[in-house]
Amino acid sequence: MYKIMMFTGGVYKFNELKETVEDIGGFILQEMVMQTETMMHLAFPEEEEPRIRAKAKELGGKLKDLPLAGTEIMVVVPSLGKHHAVYPMCDIAEFLRRNGAITNMMGLARGVGKRIAQMTVEEKAIIDECDAAVFVFGNFKECIEEKEKLCEMIDVPYIIAGGPPDLDLAHYVGGIGRRTRRMNRKVDIDKLEEMTAAFMLVLDERRKEIEEDPLAASPLFIKEMIEMTLPPKAGEELPLVLHLDGLRVKIEEEDEERVRDIEIGKRKLSEICEIEKSGYEGYLLKILPEAVSGAVF
Amino acid sequence: MEVKVEGGDEFANKSYEKVCDDVFRDTGLTSNIDSVHMYCNAAEHVFIISVEIGRAPSPVKVWDMTLREGDKLRITDEKYAPKLLALLWDRYGERVQQISRLVISLELTEEEIAKLSDLIVYDPREDLTSRILDGIDRIFPEGARVRYPMPSAEGITVIASENPIVEEWKEKAKEVMSASSKGGA
Repeated sequence: MYKIMMFTGGVYKFNELKETVEDIGGFILQEMVMQTETMMHLAFPEEEEPRIRAKAKELGGKLKDLPLAGTEIMVVVPSLGKHHAVYPMCDIAEFLRRNGAITNMMGLARGVGKRIAQMTVEEKAIIDECDAAVFVFGNFKECIEEKEKLCEMIDVPYIIAGGPPDLDLAHYVGGIGRRTRRMNRKVDIDKLEEMTAAFMLVLDERRKEIEEDPLAASPLFIKEMIEMTLPPKAGEELPLVLHLDGLRVKIEEEDEERVRDIEIGKRKLSEICEIEKSGYEGYLLKILPEAVSGAVF
Repeated sequence: MEVKVEGGDEFANKSYEKVCDDVFRDTGLTSNIDSVHMYCNAAEHVFIISVEIGRAPSPVKVWDMTLREGDKLRITDEKYAPKLLALLWDRYGERVQQISRLVISLELTEEEIAKLSDLIVYDPREDLTSRILDGIDRIFPEGARVRYPMPSAEGITVIASENPIVEEWKEKAKEVMSASSKGGA
């Protein structure tokens, strides 16, 4: 299993850290150099953590654990109107991003109200493309209980964030609800941390499932192979988004064949992945378990 | 401004009190409103807000926001500058020119300049009701799109729901309205 951490520090000798990561079979997921500061997301085998920590200490940088890294999470709100944006929707998304997740935001077309709240088939399909979802609801117990039916349709793990502190619902985190102020106080941050912990629980279950039936190749490895064939274009942001069991690849239609033909060990990418066009953005790669696709090397 | 929310559970009432407080503060209406009374019934999805309007601020005149410097006017409160320019251009046309961000030159007679003092640049009473309605719209849950406004001499009461509004709720709104005016007095 890979561990993903964030390194922040100066530019002094930071190439040595990159080399160390590559030497132990790790990956650099994101790298940003801002004048004299660097920020890197590193993925490396779990057992090598002491070595990376020692190197980071030597360079005078900081390492932060990213428990949600390698996942794409959808933040779903009943609408993108002023009642839900920007607080608490952006606070939640920002907090998830700080913990390593890539977030998308979705305002449902007809998600407002209690009796009239709906979710379309297309919206459901887009949410199901992600690894997990968080539904942000309001302050009324009766409305949240009614709207829970919408969430039950979803196939991926989800969390419901609402106002009332104690509701007898599965995957529910209370104390968030409707906000008119930024969630930057201690109590608010504690709530957001509670939500992240709940996410870690549901995602860990999924990770364990994948570990029991391992994938043909790690999404991290496939990401690197795609990047070698199709280097990111200038100004392009996050063209490859990691999922727990695959990737979202944002490429043009004419590049699809090139991606399908990428060699992963002895096999082609199209042989070990289900590739389909996403209803939202780019292409979705679902990596098949090794038991289905056969050995890659 | 006094805020009272009833009808929901303890948490909902408390949080909507905060929402009412914040929304009216953000829209700059706290000093113009005497009291806000909200009734929430999430089970039947009916929400009522009754606002009792208090004092409206006095109109802003030209001398309240400018200083005279010979045949020029220096703007002291830039917030009202677009309204002032629109007013002066409308009245005097090209004889009034904005020569820099805060300075306006006037080619006017002394008589016309003396009359300037009576000109009203902005009267907050003009759009008070629409600002209050905007505030109320921000407070109501977004799904409650069926509205029934009940204006009165003291203020505004609005019923909102996702269902057709029945007579029973209009009666309830009258109760809330009278409670609101008693509370504010």
